[in-house]
Amino acid sequence: MAQRQQPIELFMPPNMLKAKVGGGLGGADMAAMKRAEAAMDGLKGEFADWIADDVKKLIEARARYAKTQDADSRAALLRAAHDIKGQAPTFNYPLIARVAGSLSRMIGELPPHTAVPVALVDAHVNAIQVIHKMALQDTNDKTAQALCAELDARVDDLLKAKK
Amino acid sequence: MSGYRFDRLKILVVDDNIHMRKLVTTILQAFGVVQIYEADSGDRAWTVLRESNPDVIVLDWVMEGMSGIELVNMIRANPASPNPFVPVIMLTGHTSFEHVREARDAGINEFIAKPVSVKTMMSRLVAVIENPRPYVRTSGYFGPCRRRRGAEDYRGPERRAENAKQQAAE
Repeated sequence: MAQRQQPIELFMPPNMLKAKVGGGLGGADMAAMKRAEAAMDGLKGEFADWIADDVKKLIEARARYAKTQDADSRAALLRAAHDIKGQAPTFNYPLIARVAGSLSRMIGELPPHTAVPVALVDAHVNAIQVIHKMALQDTNDKTAQALCAELDARVDDLLKAKK
Repeated sequence: MSGYRFDRLKILVVDDNIHMRKLVTTILQAFGVVQIYEADSGDRAWTVLRESNPDVIVLDWVMEGMSGIELVNMIRANPASPNPFVPVIMLTGHTSFEHVREARDAGINEFIAKPVSVKTMMSRLVAVIENPRPYVRTSGYFGPCRRRRGAEDYRGPERRAENAKQQAAE
């Protein structure tokens, strides 16, 4: 049997959390989940403003990156795209999430010393603006699907060439 | 009904996006959590953490300045940390296997891939209450054990020490 290469201390701390909240039966609290679903429904009226705010931040980050292509502006652009990727499905904009995911992938996977092409950044941000302006929430929209596929393909090509 | 007294919990929500913070706090409040602290950056979270000593942290990964991963490293290793064992639930748009592994290696207890849902939030909260992982201390790592089963019998190489060396070299 192989020996450990360095001493390892393995221990189980007392479960203070369980002692604090109790819950002898374990499992999900269904009543709490129902309340939370209702609370989420109550927020839906704000989602249109929230996605508009996120898109605005992305546009601002794009403008900053186009003006000065440095590590800070690139990181800000990635954060803006990454936020939209994670949140847009909740705000009922899955297509925007997909395009933002493609933009995040491009920025995140290109080596740090390789500049992110502004034209391809613009193509993604413009697509997000169009989807938002047209309020396209249906993932079956053929034109939007074709646009997403085209952006994915261009990012694939870029990453293959640069890696 | 599980009978959890979520009203006894103190939870810190860390996210630089105000909408995501509102979404998470709304869910937690509906669960019955009363004491919810918010921070919009890793630096602010470190301050709030030391003031409030929360029972659970819900943490974003990608933030300006200190990242979620860097904050977890401080929570686990910094002598000024009020509770190195505090359960951390990472909520992130990163979804690849490599990212999940990186989060685990940094000392995350549970992982939620955005978009957040009520069901997933409940399941991860219950997981940190009901199924806490043992903790490991080595020369290069302190945090929850990555292996949920069989950790006691593990006799293989200490990969985390290698990870720590690689990170130090980078």
